[in-house]
Amino acid sequence: MAEVSYREAVRDALAEAMRADDDVLVMGEDIAEMGGSMGVTQGLVEEFGPERIRNTPISEMAIVGAGIGAAMQGMRPVVEIMYEDFLTISLEQIVNQAAKHRYMSGGQLKVPLTIRTQGGAGWSPGAQHAQQLEAWLVHVPGLKVVFPSSPADARGLLWSSIYDDNPVIFFEHRLLYPVKGEVGEKLEPVPIGKARVVREGKDVTVIATGPLVHRALKAADEAEKDGISVEVVDPRTLQPLDEEALVESVKKTNRAVVAHEAVTRMGFGAEVAAVLQEKAFDWLDAPVERVGAKFAPLAFAPAMEQFVVPQPADVLAAIKKTVART
Amino acid sequence: MAKVEKRRALSEDRLRDLLREMLLIRRFEEKVEERFRAGELPGFLHVAIGQEAAEVGVCAAMEDGDVFGSTHRAHGHTLARGTHPNALMAELYGKMEGCSHGYGGSMHLYDVERGNLGANAVVGGGLPSLVGAGLAFKMRDEPRVAVAFFGDGATNTGTFHESLNLAQLWKTKTLFVCENNTWAESTPGWQHSPVWNDMSKRAVAFDMHAMKVDGQDIEKVYDAACEALDYVRSGQGPVFLDVETYRMHGHYIGDPQVYRSKEDRDKAAHNDPVVRLRERLEVSDDDWTALEDEVQGIVDAAVEFAKSGTDPQPEDALKNVYA
Amino acid sequence: MATDVKLPRLGQGMESGTIVKWLKSEGDNVEKGEPLFEVDTDKATQEVEAEASGVLIRIAVSSGEVPVGETVAFIGEAGEEVAAISKRPEMASESVEEPQSDQTPFRAAINGARDRIKASPLARRLARERGVDLASVTGTGPEGRIVAEDVERAAAGAPAPAAAQAPAPPAEVEEVPLTKVRRTIARRLTQAWTVPVFQLTVSVDMTRANALLERSRELQPDVRVTVTDLLARVCAAGLRRHPDVNVQFTEEALLRFPTADIGIAVAAPQGLVVPVLRSVERMSLAEIATRRAEVVDRARSGALQITDLEGGTFTISNLGMFGVEQFVAVLNPPQAAILAVGATTDQPVAVDGELVVRPLMTVTLTVDHRAVDGAPAADFLRTVKTYLEEPALAL
Repeated sequence: MAEVSYREAVRDALAEAMRADDDVLVMGEDIAEMGGSMGVTQGLVEEFGPERIRNTPISEMAIVGAGIGAAMQGMRPVVEIMYEDFLTISLEQIVNQAAKHRYMSGGQLKVPLTIRTQGGAGWSPGAQHAQQLEAWLVHVPGLKVVFPSSPADARGLLWSSIYDDNPVIFFEHRLLYPVKGEVGEKLEPVPIGKARVVREGKDVTVIATGPLVHRALKAADEAEKDGISVEVVDPRTLQPLDEEALVESVKKTNRAVVAHEAVTRMGFGAEVAAVLQEKAFDWLDAPVERVGAKFAPLAFAPAMEQFVVPQPADVLAAIKKTVART
Repeated sequence: MAKVEKRRALSEDRLRDLLREMLLIRRFEEKVEERFRAGELPGFLHVAIGQEAAEVGVCAAMEDGDVFGSTHRAHGHTLARGTHPNALMAELYGKMEGCSHGYGGSMHLYDVERGNLGANAVVGGGLPSLVGAGLAFKMRDEPRVAVAFFGDGATNTGTFHESLNLAQLWKTKTLFVCENNTWAESTPGWQHSPVWNDMSKRAVAFDMHAMKVDGQDIEKVYDAACEALDYVRSGQGPVFLDVETYRMHGHYIGDPQVYRSKEDRDKAAHNDPVVRLRERLEVSDDDWTALEDEVQGIVDAAVEFAKSGTDPQPEDALKNVYA
Repeated sequence: MATDVKLPRLGQGMESGTIVKWLKSEGDNVEKGEPLFEVDTDKATQEVEAEASGVLIRIAVSSGEVPVGETVAFIGEAGEEVAAISKRPEMASESVEEPQSDQTPFRAAINGARDRIKASPLARRLARERGVDLASVTGTGPEGRIVAEDVERAAAGAPAPAAAQAPAPPAEVEEVPLTKVRRTIARRLTQAWTVPVFQLTVSVDMTRANALLERSRELQPDVRVTVTDLLARVCAAGLRRHPDVNVQFTEEALLRFPTADIGIAVAAPQGLVVPVLRSVERMSLAEIATRRAEVVDRARSGALQITDLEGGTFTISNLGMFGVEQFVAVLNPPQAAILAVGATTDQPVAVDGELVVRPLMTVTLTVDHRAVDGAPAADFLRTVKTYLEEPALAL
């Protein structure tokens, strides 16, 4: 076992895949000598050369589209979109093209494309460099969406994403990059579509993604002091969602909180809450609580940013609401 | 299907084959219009009438292994690259025997075996992936070309500019074929592009090799296409081929073209590429009638085939979402 | 064979068009491709060309709006007969079965759900499984919601804990959430308030009655017969004698009951409840006393069943133990009468011209005037007074 950072874990997966397979290449802005704006691809161009660690112009539509085209010809491209907010520029290619070629051709084509991006609040990035847009992508049939919260999951899931024959949107988070965690000596692929129980508990299930997994764990420790036993589950893959695992946990605890950094309203958490009330209705002893960002773009001033973004205290408050009595 | 043999100069026999192909497309499209008016075909349909030489000329110059992507006006390319009229007609009727098995329709025609990577309903939407295909061919050092067909309207989209930029930068094996009929639906060239009079100027901005050709003369088209494909195939970089052509009918079936002057429509009618080739080859009345009969027979048979095809099960809608 | 000329579909989404002008007349020669008629669509007026050559034998629709696909003319040979166009067959209007609006299972479930108790889905399921009546459970969840724990507790028989309330700071108003019982009381008595009523009051000399009760207690010490029990017996006898008072008003008919099912108003911890003693006219005083004690006990411990509360044709409400001398009770709908009983107090009264002190009890009868008129009600009340003052007559 070794301890690596989330950033290193992602890099690891890329490198291993590229060593194993000539058809894997990485394209993105500033990913070569600079190693990417978040340093993820640092050092890779030295090993794999500029053809396979390929800098691109600022052309999100063409970069994603080129990835689609190469994927349709049997390669396994990994496209890096520097900021999650810029996914919006390439959305036409992702939604109208990548997600639909297989379907519209009646099954003749595959698009084994992986799009990696990172987003989220932290360090006052401002409203156009801070969004969490997974809700937009999970809503499109034909796409898979993955959001790991730990180094081991990041490494294992990126490998699985590259080798999945469908377009996969792989979300990273800037605050997670330095987070360290245990990984095996050998890369262990993590299956797409399977959740992970991060912490076991009896009284309430907190379903959390990305940085909120870590904040939920903090809240869980606090709740423990008040005698509340909290179970934390990380879906890891947002689409397809491991409904079975989530429902199983809630049937055990009878209470649920869904937490993500993205805006609460109309978010991914709303879908999870709907699934829980549909499939575990008679097991719910309290309404499903949702924790997420308040409904506003991300302000620049740190105090305002802190206010909008969900903190461990917000998760704790939600936990307490589910066990509240008058 | 006639074997595609590349020859710079076309023999009389070869030209007759191409005339037959063009006439087949013509009659096929007319039949599609007729069946649409009779209420048998769902969805939007855009016919390639008037653009047969532009399309057949380029397609005839392509080789096995080349791939292409087309636009919403895709029947011509699809037939010219070897998809059987039965399979195409069946797709328009939404049958399982269709080339996209009923999932795509007129604007999403695919025939991957024949290199057809899809007609695209989003203007300019298919271009980036043809840059990607050209990139794959280059990286693997394959003598294959990705051909992107699009119209003059597409030259204004962001994807067009990003695609040309990237293709030229990376010298991908992509051929950009602009079927310039000077109409973007109802908007004439002068109203949508500052360089509508000479579309090849678009390529200059990217330092891309550009060529221009009269799209109503199939021999010229074929010739230019061969040259362009050779260039691209050799790895020297992409080419922008501006093919000047005419759209003889409306943008879509049923378009009353209220925006188009009679003059303009007459001009198109007088530049009929099928008529031109017939005259060029001095086809006799008897031979012409025979050809017409043959082609009509194929088209009628296609309708019969399609009509008696299999409707997909409603639940089939949930298949093919994921690989 | 003549060819049908049909209105073509000129554009996607076109469902009909209006023929504005025929460019050829009946009998004219027509060439395929020649313009035949003009059609107005949403977008423009367009010419439609003939699809066949021949003679325009007949124009079936000369002008007006026509659906796409409809035959508008015939082209054939001169002199050819064409069948008269049959009107497009009217789509046989499918009679759609209107679902019986009141009788569907859904309706019943929805109506049933209206008087919902607040309970979590888990609590409901547990209550179902354990046979616990949610109406008898106190909720300790937010806003008084019943949660699983509450049901578990009720099932185990433990008394509901006093909901821990933070002592309200002196200046603040405490909000006590409405229980189901309170809501029900509010609803039903608001209903009762709209009924046109009148009240009759009478004073009863309880000398004989008190003596009877005392004697009864002496003889049967383990059966504690109270004034209420005697009242129940007496009223039952009165109702048998005056069946016009043992009635209920409904829109369709007046309902007359064969038995006197008497409700006794009880102040239970959750609020006023009225358990019913059935066929009181057949019960002895001792039986009434026993039954009454049982039922009041259950009421006070929150263990009443629905069957205890159903039915009832008359109610007795006794506030005498609180020292109330006289009061007017609100009708217990749908019953037509209720007797309000006050305390028995020694009062000076004239008997045979002499001033004496007697134990007097004031009772007030509230009556639904739609069902019972003044005279029959007064008659009944006089009987009750007579029976109380001379119990031997009633027993």
